[in-house]
Amino acid sequence: MREAYLVGAGQTAYGAFPNESYRSLFRTAFEAATNSVPKGLEAAEIDEAFVGTLGVGGRQLGLSGPAVTEHVGLDGIPCTRVENACAASGFAVRQAVQAVKSGMADVVLAGGFEVMSDTSSDATKYWLGVSGETEWERLSGTTFSGVYAQMASVHMETYGTTREQLSRVAVKNHANGSKNPHAQLGFECSLEDAQSAPVVADPLTLYHCCPTSDGAACALVVSEDVVDEYTDEPIRVAGVGAGSDDVGLFQRDTYAGVPASQRAAEQAYEMAGIGPNEVDVAEVHDCFAIAELLAYEDLGFCEKGKAGGFIESGATELDGTVPVNTSGGLKSKGHPIGATGAGQVVEAFKQLSGTAGDRQVDAPVYGLTHNVGGSGGAAVVHIFERETAVSAR
Amino acid sequence: MTAITAVGAYAPRFRITAEAFEEAWGQFQAAGITEKAVPAADEDPLTMAYEAASRALEAADLESERIDWLGVASSCPPTAEEDLTARLGAMLALRSDATFHLFSGSTRAGTRALWAGVDALEGDSAVALVVAADAPRGDPDDAIDHAAGAGAAAFVLESDGPAPIVDRAEYTAVYPGTRFRNTGDAETQGPGVTQYDRQAFTETIAGAVADLECDLEPDAAAIQAPNGSLPYRASGAAGIGTETIRAGATVHELGDLGAASVPVSLASSLAAGHECVLAVSHGSGAGADAFVVDLEREVPSATALDGDGTLSYVEYLRQRGVVTTGPPAGGGAYVSIPTWRRSLPQRYRLEAGRCPDCGALAFPPDGACRDCNSLAEYEPLELSGAGTVEAVTTISQGGAPPEFAEQQAQSGEYAAAIVALETDDGEQAVSVPAMGTGADHGSFGVGDRVETTIRRVYTQEGVTRYGFKIRPAE
Repeated sequence: MREAYLVGAGQTAYGAFPNESYRSLFRTAFEAATNSVPKGLEAAEIDEAFVGTLGVGGRQLGLSGPAVTEHVGLDGIPCTRVENACAASGFAVRQAVQAVKSGMADVVLAGGFEVMSDTSSDATKYWLGVSGETEWERLSGTTFSGVYAQMASVHMETYGTTREQLSRVAVKNHANGSKNPHAQLGFECSLEDAQSAPVVADPLTLYHCCPTSDGAACALVVSEDVVDEYTDEPIRVAGVGAGSDDVGLFQRDTYAGVPASQRAAEQAYEMAGIGPNEVDVAEVHDCFAIAELLAYEDLGFCEKGKAGGFIESGATELDGTVPVNTSGGLKSKGHPIGATGAGQVVEAFKQLSGTAGDRQVDAPVYGLTHNVGGSGGAAVVHIFERETAVSAR
Repeated sequence: MTAITAVGAYAPRFRITAEAFEEAWGQFQAAGITEKAVPAADEDPLTMAYEAASRALEAADLESERIDWLGVASSCPPTAEEDLTARLGAMLALRSDATFHLFSGSTRAGTRALWAGVDALEGDSAVALVVAADAPRGDPDDAIDHAAGAGAAAFVLESDGPAPIVDRAEYTAVYPGTRFRNTGDAETQGPGVTQYDRQAFTETIAGAVADLECDLEPDAAAIQAPNGSLPYRASGAAGIGTETIRAGATVHELGDLGAASVPVSLASSLAAGHECVLAVSHGSGAGADAFVVDLEREVPSATALDGDGTLSYVEYLRQRGVVTTGPPAGGGAYVSIPTWRRSLPQRYRLEAGRCPDCGALAFPPDGACRDCNSLAEYEPLELSGAGTVEAVTTISQGGAPPEFAEQQAQSGEYAAAIVALETDDGEQAVSVPAMGTGADHGSFGVGDRVETTIRRVYTQEGVTRYGFKIRPAE
């Protein structure tokens, strides 16, 4: 199969934007992505598009892909909407890579969007739960904060993980997000703030939960045949992995881990020919603080059950051995559901192309993104590799 | 002669005291009641009927297929139209060809059901189940609401047994306007014409008792108790002493139990071992039923009438939904009515499936086996209802999904857990998500033992859906 390359990626700021529509947000992300391509890329050069969105609010549930690609002038090209809950655009990126590797397309747009801030609080709670298992899990009174809190209860009971360790995820990600102009909650938070915040679903406090967000993100994936037309500093899609699992947590083999993430990571590492130790920077799916700790274990950054100590060691801070969620993560940067997976790729692109500003990690070669749908019904992992030495910009 | 062969009784765990009402209102309008039972937000006469009936069946050690007659009574059933006996029958796994009757219309409904049950036994029936459950409501500033309690009782009737019903009589006299609930109203009302109301009460009771033929020497009396003082006014009319009435009374601790008033008093008197019990109901309209039950030997019984948690008056108003605004706009998780019905074997009776290929359990028994991915037809089996908490959280106030927002506004934080529910032999278990009920949310921890019961889950498209929840194991 041919190689696929990431030549550009861009996003809107994440936040609440009453003056923007999902179309205008997508346009901003699309222009940011095309503008990020070192040698430039015109809309007319794009062969195909994959767009991820859950459809929060129900504003355009059908044909929501073409609704945005036609809006930005991708006139007539095939567009497919990808829906895998919070992993929608992570899977859209995977579809783009497949299209390129298969030889059916040379230049593919993968994007995502969501508008979550313009519905009533009750309607928002409805939408936030639609990707949980509806008939049994949801009707036991849970939304995702509840389901992830259940996962936390098991991790704490089994491995002695503490609430303070959960809080350290918030402290780290807010510190990173404060250096990201696109972050929705770009302020620092103290351990005391995170510990003393109101409890949402025990043991998770408000600071252990990501916000609801508006936003869009886009990535551009091209084939080895055309990559030279767009960049002299190619970033290769070295590994892709994905997996699924039962939608309801209660139906799974374990509650203290996300088997779909483990499957996705295993495939991605094998395809990239690297191990977890070689990852230089990672964006992981931290919708709740426990989710980041589970990701450390599922992605192999630390041993099973050791994630609490791993965050305490500082290994995942900006200057650590494997900086995680340098963008601020879902926690601080924000979580516009359908945009999140593509937004993680934006951060990987910035880190690998040396354009991450104050939060730039020192000369990373391998960047990993990890995007989870629901509580683990779907997961997708990408590993990107910078093929040349990073140039000073 | 028809006999009571087992009894069950249930009252909600919440209590509110007369003092709490006095503090809120400057007075308490229900004389003789010191505290009363308050149904939780997820309880209603149907769930209480299940609690009492399942206890009676357990006490009787009776296979539910043997019951051929069911009578269910409530003056305030949760639906004004729609027969709830089919739901209760499904919850208890009764046979579809059994006779099902619903009794309502007045607080006499409980003894009307008992009456009809005796008739059935004198006819073709072999085993009858009589269940009375009630939770009256009045306007908050009205004596009916001050007195209103909640409770349920259930009796298994057979042609022979430890507590024969040795005599019965009935009496009707027209007395409009003592206590009524007009069509469409949620609250029961009464103009409170004191002497008139008392006359209706005593005349009907005296009339029923006068028609009894047996020699009366009861050591306990179960007299209709709209409040804590009225039953004693029937002392002369019924020809019994106030001590006998006191011996059978439950009103002082549970409040006005409506159609379950006499049944709960009768059940607790039999469970306490009283040797002769006179049970006399009164229903507005008006009429009365009188029964004499002799206790020849101990009756198998299972009663759960104790309180566990005292509410403030504000909490009382919240639990009853008086100060909450109902379900929010914006919709909730949509489960269609046919979809819900298909899941009733699981919601009501914990029907799981065993994979014929690998033996693993599945709940719900649907789709490929989680262990071996076989799509073979599951072998159905019912789980025991006992289990262990595997994962749990407490959903803080405001954190509930919208379909549970009203319940949370009423009853506050709740536990949401995954529990491993076991087979009867305890050899296998299957994981199931379940909401905690019947105890403080903090009473559910990983590793704790729990049991299932049936409660209101939520209401969508006007249809209240009932299903299992978990509570700490008794």
